[in-house]
Amino acid sequence: MTRLKRGRAFWLAMLLAVFAPFALRAQGGATVTGSVTERGSNTPLDGAQVSLPGTRLGAASDKSGAFSIRGVAAGSVKVRAQLIGYEPMEQTVQVPASGTVRVSFSLSRAAVTLSGVVVTATGEERRRSVGTAMATIDTAQIARSAATNPQDLLAGSTPGVTVLANGGQPGSGGTIRLRGVNSVSQGNSPLIYIDGVRVFNGRTPTNVGGRQFISPLNDIAAEDIDHIEIVKGPAATTLYGTEASGGVLQIFTKQGREGAAAWNLSMTSGFTNMGHIGPSSDPNGQFFNNCSGTLTIGDGTKFQDATCPASGSWLHNGPIARLNIGVRGGSAGGVTYQVSANADNEEGVLPTGGAFNRGLRANLGFKPAKGLTVNINQSITNSRTIGFADGNSANGAMLNISRGAGSNYKGVGCADATVVCINNDSLFTNQINNTTNHFITGVTLTYQPVDALTNRLAVGFDYNNADIRYVVPFGNYRVPLGSMFETLWQRQFLSADFASTYRRQVASNWSTSTSVGGQVFESKLYSTDLQSDNFAGPGDPTLVSGALRLINSVDQQRVINAGFFAQEMIGWRDILFVTVGVRMDGNSAFGKSFGLQTYPKISASYVISDEAFWPRRWIETMKIRGAVGDAGKAPGAFDAVRTWTPVAAENGKPAFSTNQIGNPALGPERTREIELGFDASALDGRISLQYSHFDDHTYKALIPVQQSPSLGFSGSQLINVGELMNSGHEVMLTAEVFRHKLVDVTARVGLMNLHSEAGNVGGQTLTIFALGRTYVQQGLPVPSYYGLKVMNPNDFANPIIQANQYLGSAYPTRIWTPGLSVKVLDRITLDMQGEWQIGGHNLNAVGYQNANLVAWQPCYAAQAKMRQAAAGDSSGLSSVTALERARCTINTKIARDYSFWVEANDFFKLRSVSVTVDLPSKYLLGAKSGSIAFAGRNLWTSTKYTGNDPETSDQRDDTFARRDYYVFPTSRSFTMTLRLGF
Amino acid sequence: MTTLRNFGRHSIGVIAVLCAACNMTVTNPGPLQDAQLNTPTAMPALVNGMSGDLSFALGNYIDRGGLASGELAEAGNFSAEQQFFIGVIRPEDVNPDWSNMQQARWSAENGLDRMKSVLGANFEKNADTPRAYLYGAFANRMLGENVCTAVIDGGPAQSDSVYFVRAESLFTRAYTLAAALNNTTVANAALGGRASVRAWQGNWTGAVTDAALVPNTFVYNAIFGTGTARENNDLANQTITRRETTVFGTVYASIFKDLRTPWDTIKTTSGAVQTGQDGKTKFFRQTKYTSLSSNVPLVKGAEMLMLRAEAALRNGDIAGMTTLINQQRALYAGLTAVTAPATTAAAWTLLQAERGSVVWLEGRRLWDLRRWNVEGTSSFLTGRSKCVPISTNELASNPNLSK
Repeated sequence: MTRLKRGRAFWLAMLLAVFAPFALRAQGGATVTGSVTERGSNTPLDGAQVSLPGTRLGAASDKSGAFSIRGVAAGSVKVRAQLIGYEPMEQTVQVPASGTVRVSFSLSRAAVTLSGVVVTATGEERRRSVGTAMATIDTAQIARSAATNPQDLLAGSTPGVTVLANGGQPGSGGTIRLRGVNSVSQGNSPLIYIDGVRVFNGRTPTNVGGRQFISPLNDIAAEDIDHIEIVKGPAATTLYGTEASGGVLQIFTKQGREGAAAWNLSMTSGFTNMGHIGPSSDPNGQFFNNCSGTLTIGDGTKFQDATCPASGSWLHNGPIARLNIGVRGGSAGGVTYQVSANADNEEGVLPTGGAFNRGLRANLGFKPAKGLTVNINQSITNSRTIGFADGNSANGAMLNISRGAGSNYKGVGCADATVVCINNDSLFTNQINNTTNHFITGVTLTYQPVDALTNRLAVGFDYNNADIRYVVPFGNYRVPLGSMFETLWQRQFLSADFASTYRRQVASNWSTSTSVGGQVFESKLYSTDLQSDNFAGPGDPTLVSGALRLINSVDQQRVINAGFFAQEMIGWRDILFVTVGVRMDGNSAFGKSFGLQTYPKISASYVISDEAFWPRRWIETMKIRGAVGDAGKAPGAFDAVRTWTPVAAENGKPAFSTNQIGNPALGPERTREIELGFDASALDGRISLQYSHFDDHTYKALIPVQQSPSLGFSGSQLINVGELMNSGHEVMLTAEVFRHKLVDVTARVGLMNLHSEAGNVGGQTLTIFALGRTYVQQGLPVPSYYGLKVMNPNDFANPIIQANQYLGSAYPTRIWTPGLSVKVLDRITLDMQGEWQIGGHNLNAVGYQNANLVAWQPCYAAQAKMRQAAAGDSSGLSSVTALERARCTINTKIARDYSFWVEANDFFKLRSVSVTVDLPSKYLLGAKSGSIAFAGRNLWTSTKYTGNDPETSDQRDDTFARRDYYVFPTSRSFTMTLRLGF
Repeated sequence: MTTLRNFGRHSIGVIAVLCAACNMTVTNPGPLQDAQLNTPTAMPALVNGMSGDLSFALGNYIDRGGLASGELAEAGNFSAEQQFFIGVIRPEDVNPDWSNMQQARWSAENGLDRMKSVLGANFEKNADTPRAYLYGAFANRMLGENVCTAVIDGGPAQSDSVYFVRAESLFTRAYTLAAALNNTTVANAALGGRASVRAWQGNWTGAVTDAALVPNTFVYNAIFGTGTARENNDLANQTITRRETTVFGTVYASIFKDLRTPWDTIKTTSGAVQTGQDGKTKFFRQTKYTSLSSNVPLVKGAEMLMLRAEAALRNGDIAGMTTLINQQRALYAGLTAVTAPATTAAAWTLLQAERGSVVWLEGRRLWDLRRWNVEGTSSFLTGRSKCVPISTNELASNPNLSK
């Protein structure tokens, strides 16, 4: 045979191998059918996975709880049913050579279950053997949250998760932390895996005018998500290697399942709404809620806004429209598919602003050979956001409108010629335009030649691009010739991830599970900042429209990380499990003297409730667990070497300037976590409790140490000198307080308590953001507000001010997440989820600036008395407190300071309220199932913080520090969703 | 057992394939590694960089220096600038200025060492070498005139006069090499610079000798540009693009039609005088620098005349002083001659006002007011900060500074 022929024969054989299973559909054998219901209520369970362990046969239950598995060989067969949120169940049936055999499952509800599997770095692991806390956001939780993206889903979802919204413009990305802060310089965002493929976990650059970033994580539509697993600390993330110290989010999208094509349609309509803006004592709501007529600021200056909308307010309700259509199904031969498309339009509450997303997802699974499963998951998303200038921008909506007569947008057309005339609608001609495209493709091959051996190879490519524009048009009041900033950004993330696990029973009581694997990640960044100023005339400008064109920065980096791991788990009597593992990493960004980094871990899980002595009658499930593990964060490319920057000088001539002094001894920082806890379930699943204590210690922390400016390099250099401590408790309690055929009430409450403290950080106080008064200092939370403090805030006296005082933690130290679910008549579900963040602070820079401009209503009375005192009559001062005197001072050249405006931002937000009604079949007009849901998000906020929103922060100022600098607050939403299944 | 062997084979095989696919090279084009500058072809850009660092430091400082010395008044919302304006210069507010000035000095001095090493015997013949010396000298002069304490390359605190000593030495080298290469511009700039630092060290005779050699119309500038933001004249940014500082409230607000201290006003649509960024203070816009690419003089013949005038006054020669002042005034259209003051005190008042107008918004006034305050001929800085202290960043990071 010629070489050519041999080659053809090979590919033909390969093709046959791949497609033979489709052609040879299982025709013979018997059929196993049955139903899956909830124990107690007998409610049919939709989407339960029913499988025959050891074979590739399986099916999922439909809306009526029914399932059917064909082609089952005769004999004694085990059948297993499992569904997240329920205790799995296994039964043995005798299957005849042909015909049908029925088996029914009645699953117990259990918020804590030790059966089933979770996904870890080594692949699937049994829950009972995992020695660390795992939290899951399941399908039901997703449906009732009224969330549209993962960020909203995570807010208030589970203890250990902190989500801060950052900004209220549609499309603004939030800050997500798992178990607080473990790094000062390298970011604290968790790693993100989607269907087993690692994707970029960062953010886009911020918009120059909008001053917020976009989070690619939010490109995944909530409707497409099946469940999310949250892996919180380094003890659990060790095998994920360098960069995993911020935790891991595993997102699993909906997959196809065997059966006829089932169509799902979800249509949402609703609106966004903004309540009162700013301090409740301000009747005009920072001149947003009311802009009509003649208005007055604190010193009596009168103004009118000739462009105030006819409604008398800048605010209106913004429409929301969402559509998601999906189909899923599969053949008995193991080919499954899930295809969905979604469109999401959300407009904001100001004259301009909106987010428009379009997404398409296709998940395909097939089993081309015995033991081999192939899953291909692809998604493409296009997002466009339009907005207004915001935050610390001279064209910003909040900056100008809230200043009243002090707006930069003076104008004409006011009815009263004696007052200051404002034309704020001009500021809405400055446009923020962000367009992103996000493409993820992943192929996962799982090969299980025998029960004992599982091999998994996942290869993924994540492509993000963004075109981020800020256009100040020709004819602008402030910049008459106009200007344009454009950032072209692209992030590519290629990963290959292999894991192999071999399990065996070595003696009657002993089992082992050996895993080895490796990962390679390649991360590429292309980012170009461009600017064009001075347009020739009106029209839609491009970068070449301006007379002055600038390339402000170009960033192109490629970084590689490769690592290997090995793990051995030993089980005793299927009750006690001890796991040891090690991860070794190399990263091409390291300094020259660093080679492989080694991260060890050890964990144990003891299912004490399976011991004979355990009182299972009362507490049916109890797993005690403990783990110690390391994870790390790598410095950036070239952080180790001395570099110079090419610049222009002498009016356009090439030149060099110093960039970074360099540190050849640079290496990754390491976080070691000790975690202890238990998972318990009692009283027939009515009460479940999960508890974890964690103690993280980051050592060799990468600290940007200020270099002596007299050495010629003005900035700081990363040095492995710091120590950070971060410990806390997490509690999740779920209780079915009332269980009846007619009414079922479940209450839940989560609590995270966090203690963050900086150790020695190079013998210095680290400045994170000086204007935000945010620092890292030994003995204080990371990061903290620090600066001038009024020591006698409530005294009616002049302020006694002391320097170098601790003013508070920037992030919350305790988060309560209470929730309640009420199911009535098995048809109507009411769900509420709240979040109460305590211990955090924010810098109310709107108060700071507007008080100086006599446009901060809470200062009006104090400032009037201070003016009176300046004119010689001090009688009014007896009722002005020291804090008011410091904050509201009219002698602005002396005592103003941002420090005085650092405020506790404790808040309670009612994150979601939903009422879902399952529609009776007679109203479904041909559909198999249907429901209608009325939902609201962020409906109510309670806080003593006097700024506009306790959650917001200008992300262009700094992404680690928090400063509420004229950031437009978050709005609430009301939606109605109709879901139909065909 | 076969399964276990398969397991091992599979694992090693797949890991090997993954590894072979890796090209572990990190790439980050753009920043240059230090060693890449060690080539003669990199020298012109290295020297341009010295000029750029000097302009960047000066362009960013003249606004705050002007606020601290009464050349400008605050009309914005920046907290550090408000402190400068009321005469409080705090270590936490001077981090940018301190590091920019130090970077300008270090990049020139370190660059000269690199040039000697890379160019070898050609060092003194290289056309760029005199400029490099000149930038190092001006950077040292800027530090000497504005900071309270000298710190060199992470070393201990020293007398601020150290900078003038270094500046004089560097000006001398610049002058010598420029003269040898027939580079008149750099030679005159070096002479003018040396004249000033000689005066500041008390060597008025030497200062007058140098100053007299500089043509009256000579100007040597720090260069600014619009090509990149780093090349911008930041004072123009703060006063032309924005309205952060104003001439209103300074002595220059009552000087009209003087080309040395020009300013104007802008009217709002209602006809009122535009206010500053703070919405309150009247905005009188300086028009000495009208664009982001307006250059800032480092040496001027007019200033040389004022140095000579001051030397004359120090010798009690009021008539001689007046003659030199009038030569200086004659350089500017529209200015008439002044008559000789009757008293020494009046002579000092005239001289200080004239010198103030000549070097207005050039980052020089704080030093003049400081030395005259020490000598008792000016009280403007009494009760106010007189110089830029060591910055908090330097204090926090330099182990040789006592804490």
